[in-house]
Amino acid sequence: MAERVAIVAVAQTKYHPNRADVNEGELAYEAIEPVLQETGLTFADDGTGIGSSVTCSQDMWDGKTVSSMNVMSYVGAHLSTEDKVANDSINAVYCAFAQILSGHFDIVLVVSHCKESQADRSIIENTAFDPIFLRVLGLDFLTAAALQARRYMHKYGVAAEQFAKVAVKNRGNAKNNPFAQEPMDITVGDVLSSKMLVSPIRLLDAKPTSDGACAMILAREDKARKLTSKPVWISGVSNCYEGHYLGDRDLAECDALVSAARRAYAMAGITAPLREIDVAEISEEYSYQELLWMEGLGFCGRGEAGKLIDAGATQMAGQLPVNPSGGMLSGNPTVVAGMARVAEAALQLRGEAGDRQVPRASVALAHGVTGMCGQHQCVMILSNK
Amino acid sequence: MAEEPRQENIKITYTKSRPYQWAAGKYLSKLYKENRDNKRLVTNRCQHCKELLWPPQMVCGRCKARAGEDWVELSDKGTVVQYTYVNFPLWDPHEGRPVKEEHPSATILLDDGIYWVTRLEEKDKEKLKVGMRVQAVWREEGRGRGLDEDILYFRTIEQ
Amino acid sequence: MANRVAIVGIGQTYHKSKRPDVSQPEMVNEAVRAALADAQLSMKDIESVFVSNMETFEGVYLPDLSMADEAGSFMKPGFKVAAGGTSGAVVVEEAFHFVASGLFRTALVIGFEKQDAGDTTAAITASTTLAWGKGMARGAIHEFAKQALSYIRQSGAREEHAAMVRLKADRGACRNPYAHLKLGLKSVEEILQSEPLEWPLRLYDFCPQSCGACALILASEEETRRITNKPVWIADCITIHQETFRAGAFCDLTGREPYSQQVAATKLYKRNGITNPRRDIDMAEVYEPSDWEEMLLYELFYLCEKNEGWKLVEKGITEIEGEFPVNPSGGVLATNPIGATPTIRVAEAALQIRGDAGEHQVTRDVKTAFATALGGPNWTTMILLKRSL
Repeated sequence: MAERVAIVAVAQTKYHPNRADVNEGELAYEAIEPVLQETGLTFADDGTGIGSSVTCSQDMWDGKTVSSMNVMSYVGAHLSTEDKVANDSINAVYCAFAQILSGHFDIVLVVSHCKESQADRSIIENTAFDPIFLRVLGLDFLTAAALQARRYMHKYGVAAEQFAKVAVKNRGNAKNNPFAQEPMDITVGDVLSSKMLVSPIRLLDAKPTSDGACAMILAREDKARKLTSKPVWISGVSNCYEGHYLGDRDLAECDALVSAARRAYAMAGITAPLREIDVAEISEEYSYQELLWMEGLGFCGRGEAGKLIDAGATQMAGQLPVNPSGGMLSGNPTVVAGMARVAEAALQLRGEAGDRQVPRASVALAHGVTGMCGQHQCVMILSNK
Repeated sequence: MAEEPRQENIKITYTKSRPYQWAAGKYLSKLYKENRDNKRLVTNRCQHCKELLWPPQMVCGRCKARAGEDWVELSDKGTVVQYTYVNFPLWDPHEGRPVKEEHPSATILLDDGIYWVTRLEEKDKEKLKVGMRVQAVWREEGRGRGLDEDILYFRTIEQ
Repeated sequence: MANRVAIVGIGQTYHKSKRPDVSQPEMVNEAVRAALADAQLSMKDIESVFVSNMETFEGVYLPDLSMADEAGSFMKPGFKVAAGGTSGAVVVEEAFHFVASGLFRTALVIGFEKQDAGDTTAAITASTTLAWGKGMARGAIHEFAKQALSYIRQSGAREEHAAMVRLKADRGACRNPYAHLKLGLKSVEEILQSEPLEWPLRLYDFCPQSCGACALILASEEETRRITNKPVWIADCITIHQETFRAGAFCDLTGREPYSQQVAATKLYKRNGITNPRRDIDMAEVYEPSDWEEMLLYELFYLCEKNEGWKLVEKGITEIEGEFPVNPSGGVLATNPIGATPTIRVAEAALQIRGDAGEHQVTRDVKTAFATALGGPNWTTMILLKRSL
């Protein structure tokens, strides 16, 4: 691995509850066109342009077998190369990273899209569970998350108020993010009195339905330096699966995340994450997840994330701001969310995060999740040095 | 070879709908509206390669760039390039049941140079011929919702 | 500088039309165990797991999750691919990039499909949507009926030629313990009299729906030398997509559009110094959903001149004993668990290079082979394998 790989341009659509005005490809192009324009790159197989793309979408969400067909024309794939990842899109960025490190490609476009408004989340998520034993229980990711939140509260004494603080922080941070779908000024009381969805998860503890797309271009070091004056290097990355059956897992733990984080940190040379990371973008579909994932990421000991948020450590002015973008909670579609975290982290490191900028951010962490209770986790460390 | 022991499996059958709401998007919507309101076929011509796109699309896949807004009306007449017919019902996931196609399908070369796979009115296989001239038959009753329903099939016409 | 990557383990299930005796994860586990046994490794030696499967075929969202335990992904890095017909090869290509990059030293690649759990044609019909194209979608059968019509008109091939391809496939399948359909076909007439599907395709002209899984273990050069003395090197991979500008992506009606197969082959051959594929390569496992398509593929991969694919069949060139064997395993016509089918092509070509294909081992020595995948609106993945680099 002689050379490094950088993100040279990123774009996101403004996340929206229902983009009935566009189909999937047109939506994706709203993120693709800006990165093409910013870099001046075209699609070309001879090393002068984008030689390959990695797309990320879910057939079940698009309601289309081979959902990548929805974006083929838009990613320049005609008579050219495209590969596909069907995990959360942060893994598509990881895949593009590997493509370049393999020496087979220099410049790769990564795109993800999802229109949650087009389908019923609960029905789709139910089909992720074992067909014989678990689907009949009506499980979906929300009910599974509720099981995890309860277990987490029980084992470590984390309280609903602490989860609510995540929602308050992130919805508030979203006011500074022009791409955010639903910024809100709320209080802990607002969250705790919002409608109960599945105990203990309330309406304001959950993310809204969202449509959107995200795109970025990765390049090998020599080309990256020519394409941008602000390359964002991927210095560490890893992902991990854990077991499927909820009963086999202690849901208050997140072993897959601990493992992915450990490998990513080792690759990036990070030993004390809370101190060495300047900003973190974490995928929190439900408010409790931000706290649980923080523990898996080693920001603090087990069961201690509640204390971190109580102390304000993850606020914009805190020791390690988490989700200055407003996170998933403020409205990101599933599938796209992980890459959106990478895009936001990249903007931070480029100093282009506007009102949500963490001053002098130099090392960022981006995180993505696939599946119920975070069965698959991916951690990426970025740096601008 | 010994007979395999008969296995009895407990079978639980349940069906579940997985409904979707697809947005046609900006370019297809224009085609559908012309179809529904004016019984016209329209599409856009790529500003770079000058080829007609079918169906109309925002980005030309060949040029890998925006195709532009050069809209043209297409002839509703064409020539049958090849035809075929299905012999048995197939499960259609959009219907949720097996559907047997009553009409033969054909690849039709519209007079404007666009190839389109659609249905033929003529059900008698003996009468089907490559090179037949055909014309679209539009739905009269009921307001159509989309392309497949607004054009019923292509009818054989004289040369 | 890219690392070299080899296939060090190969495993398949015995492919069947139904597997009521196993769940999806259990079926995958069979292939994984077979590959580990072949490589004489355990899951401890595997650093990453890549899975290929089409969710809508069995109606499972995120199938890689529900089989994390049985596939061996438990507490390991991994990815999932769903790219249609090419999935099973795209997953090999992605794993290849990861091992070549040095990020992983070993990768387990799994393709699977349990098609008794769903309806494939319905699922392929769902690759269109009500927003466009639904009305005429009748799955892959329809696409290959159109292809056959075009091929007949363009090349002058006759039904008998297609039937001869089908006979060749069945002969191979009957010598392949893992193949699904072993029909014992004896004559062209049997095929011509089989049930009509969509004219001109008859039942035997088209691939079946199978339940099965195939697993490969990839390793970096350093690991390979520790693991086996019969590596099969992945010399190169390429994926080329195609958009449908003219009706019938599988049979361009205008003669103006290049096929993705031609673009892929041209680039792959050029990158690897192949100037005469019939001479420089020894055999191929191609993805042929129909017997007619196989003849077209001979032309598109430059194994013969345009419109002459059927002549190779007449001369027996692509038979197991022939000069350039194609699909000695029985191919897709005999076995088609879609998420696994391209992985099986790679596995079968690798077995030929190793000399381990048993009764369906081709007569000539195989030093170089390629495997292909076909999917979507005529997408192609080609993987070039060599006994030594």
